[in-house]
Amino acid sequence: MNTLLMLVRREFWEHRSLWIAPLVMVGVILVMSTWGTLVTTDIGHGMHIGSVSSLEELPELGERGRSELTRFMAMPQERKDTFAALSILAVGSLISLVALIVVFFYLLDCLYSERRDRSILFWKSLPVSDAQVVLSKLLVALAVVPLGVVALTAVTQIFVSGIYWLRFHDTILGQIAPAWSTAAWAHALWAALLVSIGGALWYVPVAGYLLLISVWARRNAFLWSVLPWPALMLVEKMFLDTTRVAEFLGQRLAGFAQKLDLASDNFQDHGPDNEMPVMREVFDAISYSGLFGSAELWVGVVAGSALIYAAVRIRQLRDDS
Amino acid sequence: MTKIIEARGLTKNYGSTQALRGIDLDIEPGRIVGLIGPNGSGKTTAIKSILGLAGFDGELKVLGRDPRRERDELMKEVCFIADVAVLPRWIKVSQALEFVAGVHPRFNRKRAEEFLARTDIRLDRRVRQLSKGMVTQLHLALILAIDARLLVLDEPTLGLDLLFRRSFYDNLLNDYFNGERTILVTTHQVEEIENILTDVLFIQHGKIVLSSPMETLGERFVQLVPAAGNTDAARALKPFYEREIFGRVAMLFDGRAEAELAALGETRVPSVADLFVAMMGGREPMPGAAASKEAA
Repeated sequence: MNTLLMLVRREFWEHRSLWIAPLVMVGVILVMSTWGTLVTTDIGHGMHIGSVSSLEELPELGERGRSELTRFMAMPQERKDTFAALSILAVGSLISLVALIVVFFYLLDCLYSERRDRSILFWKSLPVSDAQVVLSKLLVALAVVPLGVVALTAVTQIFVSGIYWLRFHDTILGQIAPAWSTAAWAHALWAALLVSIGGALWYVPVAGYLLLISVWARRNAFLWSVLPWPALMLVEKMFLDTTRVAEFLGQRLAGFAQKLDLASDNFQDHGPDNEMPVMREVFDAISYSGLFGSAELWVGVVAGSALIYAAVRIRQLRDDS
Repeated sequence: MTKIIEARGLTKNYGSTQALRGIDLDIEPGRIVGLIGPNGSGKTTAIKSILGLAGFDGELKVLGRDPRRERDELMKEVCFIADVAVLPRWIKVSQALEFVAGVHPRFNRKRAEEFLARTDIRLDRRVRQLSKGMVTQLHLALILAIDARLLVLDEPTLGLDLLFRRSFYDNLLNDYFNGERTILVTTHQVEEIENILTDVLFIQHGKIVLSSPMETLGERFVQLVPAAGNTDAARALKPFYEREIFGRVAMLFDGRAEAELAALGETRVPSVADLFVAMMGGREPMPGAAASKEAA
């Protein structure tokens, strides 16, 4: 256990982009949030709902606008929470996107760089098994980084809310969409956690594939990981005139969101008056059972485990140092 | 006592090339064994087999274990420094200490730190910022702090200047070797280690051609510089090698009594380097034998 922990720490020493890149993204989000509070909140005719604290300060506001804004301000909390939840999910998506890119290149590089610089001879001179080494890399990619992203999202949102509160808490905008909602925060993070776990399981075969390329390629691990796919698609198109490879790839890369039913119109207006949906309904619409209950997920986990086992064996037996 | 390394018919083929052609080895505890051979003789292949870094055919037990299947267990008691500095260039000195301490049950971190304190290596440096000599010192600091039974060194001083090479072996003898541990070392710089070896193994074309304790080397091999007029008489005794130095002939004999040869001229125990040249190079000393690293 201690060994595995040490191996995981080691990964973050070597591949510093694993933590630096998400932190940079957090910085960008905070800068964007600050900047976002500084830009105009004009709703037309020079009326700034982010600068005034009551509708009386907006004399130009017509009858219709007044009733519209009043209705928004009086919107029940469970609908206002949806704004807050959306904000958290936006923050989480941005950090996840960066993490996804970094993890992709990490997996391709992690078993390749140690052979390139021959440091594998040092690592192999220590009482650590090849299975432990490969497992530590998998753990970093599919557990430590995703959980880190969720934690980072939680913290970042506190700051984003803080910035928003400082600027808008006593304005009309602040009344329409409050800066902070603990319910939204907890709900969104719980959803993010479950989605991360589902995503980690869904991407086990992709991670296994990348690890296998990483341990096997003599050079150009990136090209080896990507190029076979368009090549296969081309061959398939030429000889069979079908698109099964592309469908398979698409399903493996994006099918995850489809299983969760994320693409459905949860966030579209449900009410008669263009109202925000109730937050609980939004989150309840995510189909966790669709993902965790799908055979595809578990077939992928099994296939991915086989690829990972192959990577372990290759690292164990290969001698090209 | 159990053998440290025991091999029977150790064989390794790379495609059609036979890198090892049936090697038998018996290395006892407490020995310092030099595995010496020219480029491509199979030294590194043998070392890799012993360390579980490459597959092989035949029987091989290291500390009673099969290195192919039990490398990670084996490495608790075996240390290894490879032919060039293989420490990852990105690692900080402090991280290297932390990591080895974290994964190695027999690593004494304090000891490594004490060793490093005697060098110019700072803990906050990355390996890429260190000179080649310092990287070797760092590796040695890590290894010397591990309570291991077998230390394998594959060309450990390649590319280092004389000062570092000298202190490397001094450190090894003073800080590491205690009469119970075993060291297996390969090198091209035969002269440099011949004083510290207890045993010598010559390997050529994938076969062990000489295996002898240092102290009995002199009983078997004699170098003779025949007195004027005795050259032909000496040749009649069938030296296996001869060469001319400054107009005089030096001959090497295998299995001739020293007393018999002493009657013909000056005799002495040949150095390991002399024997190496004689046995590996045929009649012509091999030019550049010690120049470049053995190809893997």
